[in-house]
Amino acid sequence: MEIRELFKLAGILIVVIGLALRLRTTLVVVTAGLVTGLAAGMPLFSNEGIFTGMAIVTSQGKTGLINMLGKAFADNRLMTLFIITLPAIGLSEKFGLQRQAGDLIGRIKAATVGRLQITYQLFRVLHGALGIRLNGHPSFVRPLIFPMSVGAMQAKAGSKEVPDELIERIKASNAASENYGNFYGQNLSPVQAGILLVYGVMQGLGFTISIWDLVLFTSPVVVASIIFAIIQFRWLDRRLDRGLERQA
Amino acid sequence: MTTPLFISFAQLAGHMFSLESVYVLTGLVLLVFACMAFTDRTNHRRIGSGMFWLVLGIIFIFGSLLPYWLTGLMVLFLVILDGAGRVVRGRTGHENEDRPESRIGNRIFWPVLAIPAVTFVFAGIFRIAGMDANRGALVGLGFGGIAGMLLGLKLTGGTVRMMMSEGRRLNEAMGAVNILPQLLASLGVIFTAAGVGDLIAGGIQQVIPADNLFLLVVANCLGMALFTIVMGNSFAAFPVIATGVLVPLIIKPFGVNPAMAAIITLTAGSSGTLMTPMAANFNIVPAALLNMRDEYGVIRFQLPFALTIWSFHVLLLWILTKYY
Repeated sequence: MEIRELFKLAGILIVVIGLALRLRTTLVVVTAGLVTGLAAGMPLFSNEGIFTGMAIVTSQGKTGLINMLGKAFADNRLMTLFIITLPAIGLSEKFGLQRQAGDLIGRIKAATVGRLQITYQLFRVLHGALGIRLNGHPSFVRPLIFPMSVGAMQAKAGSKEVPDELIERIKASNAASENYGNFYGQNLSPVQAGILLVYGVMQGLGFTISIWDLVLFTSPVVVASIIFAIIQFRWLDRRLDRGLERQA
Repeated sequence: MTTPLFISFAQLAGHMFSLESVYVLTGLVLLVFACMAFTDRTNHRRIGSGMFWLVLGIIFIFGSLLPYWLTGLMVLFLVILDGAGRVVRGRTGHENEDRPESRIGNRIFWPVLAIPAVTFVFAGIFRIAGMDANRGALVGLGFGGIAGMLLGLKLTGGTVRMMMSEGRRLNEAMGAVNILPQLLASLGVIFTAAGVGDLIAGGIQQVIPADNLFLLVVANCLGMALFTIVMGNSFAAFPVIATGVLVPLIIKPFGVNPAMAAIITLTAGSSGTLMTPMAANFNIVPAALLNMRDEYGVIRFQLPFALTIWSFHVLLLWILTKYY
């Protein structure tokens, strides 16, 4: 392998280091693209239009990096279409969407902490399937799911005090049920970010795929995520019970 | 005489309900956001922020007409603005002001549910009409957004100004990261053109025999998870792994269904997201929100789940490639 070839990998290095250092993600990604293209000997602009015959920035018969960036960005506008849904969602939030959703969650009757996590995870999967984008940690987990879980635990403990280490474990499970439901459920809608990213990238690689097939093929993973979570949250319940018994 | 009339109606509908018109509508929303940002006195970076949304709006409206080099330069401009820290959020009103007397009960869900409902109806109509159902869903998403706005205005009695201001609040809360998927897809295109994929594929082939499907699937899913762990973002990892491993070493030689292999590869990355402090929004911030004693408590809890579901991805991709 030639050394010159290896320079093309600089882009990947830039992405990894840039994001690990928490630099501005947009800048890191575009810099990586430009460096990779230049390392591969691509010109900045195509030799056409106002750039015809310009030395240095163009090269005969090669597509320019900036042209490539512009075309790919314009072709993939579909990934950012969700912006058009923001006014409707924002208006609903102003008139109590979150509070109403909170009321709905509050009505969940779950006998154990584990069952509550499963129910909440399913609720988040449903969100995903409806194409609703949401970070549930601040809006649902902290204000609702956590106190409800502690409530369920306290009901079981009766007059006994619930030990701190069990509360810590409950907190972790609250955050986890949000993440499990969010990460895997969101691909059930054909207009969510992950699906559109995969669609766009594969199109760029020469494969036109159906976004409906993507939804279809993600469903085994969604089912598995629910089953694995059920197992984990049942273990959690058992551990919590044992923790309480030891307390006695 | 009815036939030409029918055709012109179909053409009219075809133009109106096209992806292009949805891009234009989204661009117009962005222009409104831009105007509001320019005039927002609470935002000390209002010129930079306004320019960002203005230029993005222009790309949305005219993206199919502008020469690619010009769009490319505009994208660079967006990224430089953001890189220089010129794109920040204003203090747009109160979040969830939520006066009890103005609450309308469960009807508040209707505008939000109208969006997926219209999306699916459009996709269904496009499919029945023999057109591209992908396009139908996207066009439906656009018109779903419009339907949600109209329904929301009618149900809540709010004003258009209030609605756009609330939309802008949500948009600015995400900020420039909104365009990240578009940038990542562009990165994938450049990587492919530069031959980065071939290079990675060549490197892997020196270690793993090209006919050993199982090990290639492991390399694919492991690469995806590791990149995600380091970068904290499975979306950023996907273009790299797709160009370097998935397409050249699995999809092309084994003739696999590309949709199946691609989406399983993406969620193999989600296992990585569950394990990394780099995905701070999901793992570290919640630990802080919940006042956990252990900053990594959420990750510790998720670890066994993440490893299990990662292994499931390997098996699923291997089995589906082999037998499907």
